[in-house]
Amino acid sequence: MISRQSLIVARWEFLRFFKWKQQLVSYLLMLAVIAAIALWSFFTDESQQQYRIAVPAELQITNTEQFQFQRPGIALETQLMQMQNDDSWHAVISQQDGQLVVHTLTGKKWLQQLDEVLQQHYRHQAAQQMGLNAAQLAALEQPIEIETRYLDQSYKGKDTPEKIIAIGALILLFVGLSTAFGQVLVSITGEKQQRVTEQLYAIVTPQQWMDGKVLGHSFSALKAMLTSALVMLLSFAVVSVFTKKAVDLSWLDISVVLWLIPFALLGVVLCASFMGAIAASIDDPNNSGKSAVMMITWLPMVFTFIVIDSPAGIGMTILSFVPLTSFAAMPVKMAMVTVSWWQPLLSLLLLLATVYWMRRVAGRVFLRGMQMYGKEPSWGDIVRWALSNKAD
Amino acid sequence: MQLIVTAINKAYSSVQAVKNVSFHINSGEIFALLGPNGAGKSSIIRMLVGMTKPDSGSIMVSYQSQHYDHVPRRLLGYLPEDRGLYPDKSIEKNLLYLAQLHGLSKSKALSEMDYWLDVFELTARRHDELKQLSKGNQQKVQLIAAVLHQPALVILDEPFSGLDPINQEKVVLFLQQLKAKGMTVILSAHQMAMVEKLADHMLLMAQGQVVLAGTLQQIQQQSQNQRQMKVGFSSEVNAAQLEQLAAVVTVQQLQARHYLLTLAEQASVSDCLKQLLQYGELTQVEMQSADLHQLYLAAMARHKPEAAV
Repeated sequence: MISRQSLIVARWEFLRFFKWKQQLVSYLLMLAVIAAIALWSFFTDESQQQYRIAVPAELQITNTEQFQFQRPGIALETQLMQMQNDDSWHAVISQQDGQLVVHTLTGKKWLQQLDEVLQQHYRHQAAQQMGLNAAQLAALEQPIEIETRYLDQSYKGKDTPEKIIAIGALILLFVGLSTAFGQVLVSITGEKQQRVTEQLYAIVTPQQWMDGKVLGHSFSALKAMLTSALVMLLSFAVVSVFTKKAVDLSWLDISVVLWLIPFALLGVVLCASFMGAIAASIDDPNNSGKSAVMMITWLPMVFTFIVIDSPAGIGMTILSFVPLTSFAAMPVKMAMVTVSWWQPLLSLLLLLATVYWMRRVAGRVFLRGMQMYGKEPSWGDIVRWALSNKAD
Repeated sequence: MQLIVTAINKAYSSVQAVKNVSFHINSGEIFALLGPNGAGKSSIIRMLVGMTKPDSGSIMVSYQSQHYDHVPRRLLGYLPEDRGLYPDKSIEKNLLYLAQLHGLSKSKALSEMDYWLDVFELTARRHDELKQLSKGNQQKVQLIAAVLHQPALVILDEPFSGLDPINQEKVVLFLQQLKAKGMTVILSAHQMAMVEKLADHMLLMAQGQVVLAGTLQQIQQQSQNQRQMKVGFSSEVNAAQLEQLAAVVTVQQLQARHYLLTLAEQASVSDCLKQLLQYGELTQVEMQSADLHQLYLAAMARHKPEAAV
């Protein structure tokens, strides 16, 4: 049960690192950058412009929306001079020794589209010469559809929207844990250096203090994850509006997202507790190598990413139940294969028990570390405290 | 609130920080722990607060028919030796946070804060960040933080350190106010003149042991054999030479050619005068009772660390 004092500490910690103005400015800047990129690609989209192309008189190619083919009836050299001097032509096409040559000032993206139009024209011409009708030509141009059927009924398929959600979840967890890593380290070691801890000890128990810290920084991490998710969705929406004129979010599976929330919440609390325990054992962050150990919390995402292409494999199965990795692995597995209802439930219960144990360990390490008065505990001390059942 | 400490001991690694210390404190008293650095004062305070436990002996805190083995947090106001608050936050935010952790409502915390900020003349600076304040003003904020929730017992580890004489006097008034409000106060200090004005009872410690204990009068009576003699010489005398005399325990130079001597317990005044006359003609001889500072110095001289003996 979380005490009132822990909630006050959590609120204090959350607000210590949450500056409204800075947050607002950073979001506005992010949106401005996304909008600028979208606007730039919209206004510089070469496919929206029209190009004048000079072609030989014998090339009977049909105009498209993008390309106007004209037959000027003047010498090639004159056409090339015109292109260089007064922009009469965007490109000049000639035929030399039976080969088509495209003359242009410099490399442009629209030349690729011109190439496709020319290819199509010559394919049609060849088909007509072979006596093929339009339907036959269309049949030839139609790509063959190949469907892969998986015998494992639970596998939802590779490169599916589910995989996008799974990778997105891993990225968001990474964002959240990076946020928690920095804040927990600064907050706990900073308080030790500012000598606030002894004052606080006289007011709240080490466990209440640690619970408050863990909760506050977990909220910060979740806030970072939520805002990152919103920014990702917003970016997707802005880009969709400019490119496709519509926002399609049908790939977003809400049932998977709903499962993500408890796993992400407990995963972040577990990692923040672990970071809290390590930070509480650091006396001087400038001269301690222990802070690097806090990065261990990133390993669950790395391991899960390694086995992401075998979501029904033994590796993913183990990772999705081991409480130290399950918060990353189980949502990814659920996004990619259908699992029985008891699997996420069991995984969540194991994770919950581990979170409870880890927060107790963090509280014990803080108390014992403080009692050492300036001497940093060894790894042996920390392990002994972690395994101790002694009430504080 | 009554606090009874019985024969407590505490060791850190190979250092025996507290040796067989006993004392008791009654409700509403100001109790002073005195002694040089490393005497064991902070170790005792940390045991009272519950941060550490005695290796042996007992601590009993009685409050409203309830008994505890350390001071419960809800009854405690604490100024630790290692102190500090959040430098990037304002006075108001720092105090409000700590008061709310103590269980005060926001409105109650603000009204208490108004009162104490006014006492310490910090009202105009309540929105200043702590790092903008002088060390003395930061110390005042820390003192306010210790009493904002009106605890039954206030433990102040070195409340006078870092303060100029004017602010030290303000802290004396502050402590008198706490007593007037019925709070019990335990403080540790080096400033004997301040303690003399304030403390009902005191405990003088050296090397983890009790050297003297009781009220000022009791301590003076305990030290009645600790006679002091003010002497003046007609010519310059080396103080180190005076310290070598068998009849003299400590020597304090008062002004040019004038000294305050603490006499050894068994030495007679006439023996002492005979020895002093070896160094020159005496222009002044005056017997006087020792104040706390002199008793402290004399007691410390008798309990020099073994290595230095």
